[in-house]
Amino acid sequence: MTDNVENNKTIENKISDIKVTDTRVHEKQKELESGPIGLDIGTTNIVVARNRAGAPITMKQLNAFFAIPKSKLTARILSQNDVMYFAKNGQFYIIGNSSEEFANTFNTETRRPIESGLISPREDDGMNVIQALIKSLLQPPKKQGEPVCFSIPGDPIDGNSSVLYHESIIKRALDAMGYKPISINEGFAVVLSELQGENYTGLGISMGGGMCNICLSYLSVPVFSFSIRKGGDYIDTMVGRTVGEPATLIKTIKEKDLNLLREPSNRIETSLQIYYNELINYVVHSIQQVMASSDRMPRLSKPVPIVLSGGTAVVTGVKELFEKALKTARLPIQISGVRIASDPLNTTAKGALTMAVSEEN
Amino acid sequence: MSVPIVIFSIDDTRGTLLQKVLQHNGLQSKLIKRNFELGTVLSKRVPSIVVFDTKDYYSRDFAYLRNICSTYPLATVIALAEDSNVPVLIEIGVRDDLCVREPFNPDLTLAKVKELVFIKNKAHLKVKTYLALIYHLIVGEKDNPYIVFIKKVLTVIALLLSSVVGIAGGFTIWSLSDLPKIQQLEDYSPLETSSVYSTDGKQLGEFFYVHRKTIPYYKIPPHVKDSFLAVEDARFYEHKGIDFYRIGGAFLENIRSKGYSQGASTITQQLAKMLFLKPEKNLSRKIKEAVLSLQIESRYTKDEILGIYLNQAFFGARSYGVEAAAQTYFGKKTEDLSVADAALLAALPKAPSFYSPFKNPSGCLTRRNLVLKMMLNRGYINDDKYKAALAEPLPTEMERPAYKSSYFLDYLKNHLEKQIGEKLFTSGLKIQSTMDSAMQDAAEKAIKKGIETLTRNGDKNLQAALLAVDIKTGGVRAMVGGIDYSTSVFNRVTQAMRQPGSAFKPFVYLAAFKEGYTPNDVIMDREVTYFSKEGGVPWTPQNYTHRFYGNVTLRTAISSSLNGATIYLANKIGMNKVIDAARSTGITSPIYPHLPAAIGVSELTLSELVYAYATLASGTAKRPIFYTTIKDKNDVTIETDGLGEVKVIDDGIVTFVKDVLRSVVEHGTAKAAQSIGRPVYGKTGTTDNYTDAWFVGFDDHLAVGVWVGKDDNKPLKEDSSGSAVALPIWIDFMKSVVNK
Ligand SMILES: Nc1ncnc2c1ncn2[C@@H]1O[C@H](COP(=O)(O)OP(=O)(O)O)[C@@H](O)[C@H]1O
Ligand SMILES: [Mg+2]
Repeated sequence: MTDNVENNKTIENKISDIKVTDTRVHEKQKELESGPIGLDIGTTNIVVARNRAGAPITMKQLNAFFAIPKSKLTARILSQNDVMYFAKNGQFYIIGNSSEEFANTFNTETRRPIESGLISPREDDGMNVIQALIKSLLQPPKKQGEPVCFSIPGDPIDGNSSVLYHESIIKRALDAMGYKPISINEGFAVVLSELQGENYTGLGISMGGGMCNICLSYLSVPVFSFSIRKGGDYIDTMVGRTVGEPATLIKTIKEKDLNLLREPSNRIETSLQIYYNELINYVVHSIQQVMASSDRMPRLSKPVPIVLSGGTAVVTGVKELFEKALKTARLPIQISGVRIASDPLNTTAKGALTMAVSEEN
Repeated sequence: MSVPIVIFSIDDTRGTLLQKVLQHNGLQSKLIKRNFELGTVLSKRVPSIVVFDTKDYYSRDFAYLRNICSTYPLATVIALAEDSNVPVLIEIGVRDDLCVREPFNPDLTLAKVKELVFIKNKAHLKVKTYLALIYHLIVGEKDNPYIVFIKKVLTVIALLLSSVVGIAGGFTIWSLSDLPKIQQLEDYSPLETSSVYSTDGKQLGEFFYVHRKTIPYYKIPPHVKDSFLAVEDARFYEHKGIDFYRIGGAFLENIRSKGYSQGASTITQQLAKMLFLKPEKNLSRKIKEAVLSLQIESRYTKDEILGIYLNQAFFGARSYGVEAAAQTYFGKKTEDLSVADAALLAALPKAPSFYSPFKNPSGCLTRRNLVLKMMLNRGYINDDKYKAALAEPLPTEMERPAYKSSYFLDYLKNHLEKQIGEKLFTSGLKIQSTMDSAMQDAAEKAIKKGIETLTRNGDKNLQAALLAVDIKTGGVRAMVGGIDYSTSVFNRVTQAMRQPGSAFKPFVYLAAFKEGYTPNDVIMDREVTYFSKEGGVPWTPQNYTHRFYGNVTLRTAISSSLNGATIYLANKIGMNKVIDAARSTGITSPIYPHLPAAIGVSELTLSELVYAYATLASGTAKRPIFYTTIKDKNDVTIETDGLGEVKVIDDGIVTFVKDVLRSVVEHGTAKAAQSIGRPVYGKTGTTDNYTDAWFVGFDDHLAVGVWVGKDDNKPLKEDSSGSAVALPIWIDFMKSVVNK
């Protein structure tokens, strides 16, 4: 990768051209908030939810970073532009939303602290980045031990990774920041945020960038939960590979105005539909498998709903493809209907907030 | 005052869930997980309800539960348990109707708790209760404790009635309080065998737990019906379900043998008996059976009853119904049974294994001849027929249809079992597979002939595999997973991981074409030593012929299978591109990310390779397709499978790939294949020391691969290259499927 090493001069030139449209949360805004916090540390985004005037509000940052060599001039440009960064080991770590613009400028991709839903074993500085991002979204707790409820994935059924390490590391970090950390399963958070009207009974599914999380809750008891380590990123990568385009381009196209129900008009759309279908079938199939093998699976006399959330569920047609996949599946329970969460990108954080509030009382 | 409810469960989730369900229905309960806590909740003098979850409970004799029952006599226990634990629990003192069997059923448990609360609270003594009862009767809610209660009241009334209408009358009414529903006979869907068919309409095989086939009444020939009537119920067409005439006889018989075992049962009564799941022999059960028999008679015609009976009876050897039995014992259809055959079958239901012709031929013969005698006596057959039937021998061996395509059926079975579960063995499905039985025959013959030739030439312990798939649909048309399924079920098409050798090379060229090379471009074939970056041993690849050819075109490099040139090319474009190319055709096994993989050192299956070649041939993505439709026994299609058209290789590149694979046949290592007489394409593969010999290729319709080697990875004879060993089998097969 020798041609990627540029000297500091060119780096400075490049970054001085970057126009940062920073969505950084300003100090004043942070001041306004206190009380319980819901936190969603996803592969793609970190989302924070808190109550303000009785209603939850959310803020988010891209869970990504970009490192460039440290220099005085760079430092000046960064702070003039209000870019979030921290310095470590002779490097500046540009974090959050701005990291993407930097990566684009340098024609590469951002680095991610989380890989397929879990703390990346490849990034030593991952936890520092996450901590810095959390700090940017939250002011330090007013009093020691304010509850923060953060979401953790269920144990992945594909592969033998455990979420224990992931959970403990985040817990420690939040603890060190002065919060009282509580964890909540991501799928269960979806149930808490969306299925109040159904007595918290149903399947909550969060389809994010790195994974999909699934939880069956019955009267607010999580009966089982698990995750699969595939999500929106997987679709981007596979489609990219199939059509020979970079995954980032696919991601942009996917997020723009994909409609899974209309006739595909080109190869990219065709492949997007194929891999979306594959992902959804995989999710449904795993649910079937887990239900069939769990001895906790209760026999339910009434049909239960399914709620889909997360960025990957935003696309038009996901609901319909899901319903179609369900038709061919053999689940031991009846499904009353599939719906998309009201605010898919923030569902998990809001559910975590509900949990944090109940913990405080 | 409400009754205390305690839930004891070691499984956190199940316990919490039960507690929530109760809470949701207005019942507060206490959840405990450890033995000693129970004493803090229960009292000896207050009635209570204990829900005891035996899941994960460490001791199978439930001493603790015994303890609860004796220490707290006013506690009523509801036990959640596996079916197999229920007898122990009943012995301890748990009421049978309070044992809630697995799978875990919170709603049913709730209903039981509600019922107990209702009774323990003495709610039936309150006016409010009766108002609620009337309300629920009108609204009609199932599982309602009030309704359950009312049923019990009715039972009590029945008992009281007995003092009025006499013991017998009351007893009868009481007996009837839990009759099974006669409708079961109609919705009765017994376990039925599923069948697999080839594209040319042959039955390839069957999947079943128990062998059962239903056959319409009118297809059963008269002499078969007669043989059963002769032994089981000669007055069948006269009586009304119960043969009082016979009961008299049986009664005397019973006095002699002191028991209820003598069969006074008519065919109708036997059918009624089948409606009860558990066999029991007591008077109350007899009465229930009799009442059911009368009901059956009033609902069905005699012919229908006999038809249902013949389709339900058990004949031993996992066979239910006369059609399955005819197949098992004679390899025949019911329509084709002789009088002697029918008599033998009629002899079986009484004691199928005792009278089995295979286990007890002499006993069987005696009994069969007795049946024939009865048929003669009752005038069902004349003397000539009787004598002829007596002379017929018994069957000597179980008829086991020998299925040719066993490897295919095996694979299909595993695949479908995962997909549709036990329905595969129980629902009488008709599975339309993609297999062509003529092609399968050709494939089996080609393998057999090829292996015979090689064995004759002095090689031993050979194995071989062949897979033919339809390029357009991905359907498996023929599959031979080894030379003999009866000695080895290991499927060398789908399971064996072998090195493909040069048969992998097309993916290097595919990668090159994707990078802009053409078949006419020139590359170097010369001695080069490659040094690995990780500091491994330097490597100097050699050609099969041990010489180098200098500047060659890509076409020559692949048709002469030059290792030097191929590795040169792979090095030039990069192994990651080669791996990507292989992946794009559907190769999923791990590929070693270094140059030796370009000449096939990474193991994969024949199936992967053939499907990848099918992708090369068409440019569209392929995956194995084994069936096109599955229909249920009512001919409703319940599953279909097929491929979409997903382009993964551009047409221009497909043309290049076909160009070079054609030159292998025209000028290269597979010249012998020209004898097939139509354009074919392909590549030989030979691994170091001759452990694996391959030929994989295609024509315009089929992609076909042949592998020859040994299971223990020992080498074949010297000079057993892909072109010497695998290609002849391939050619043989391709020639015989010319018209497809
Ligand atoms: N409008 C959109 N249409 C399609 N996909 C989207 C859209 N918005 C976000 N995504 C996808 O959703 C994923 C991120 O969702 P999110 O729930 O934030 O994930 P995570 O849990 O990984 O943080 C990414 O794969 C992204 O491409
Ligand atoms: Mg998420």
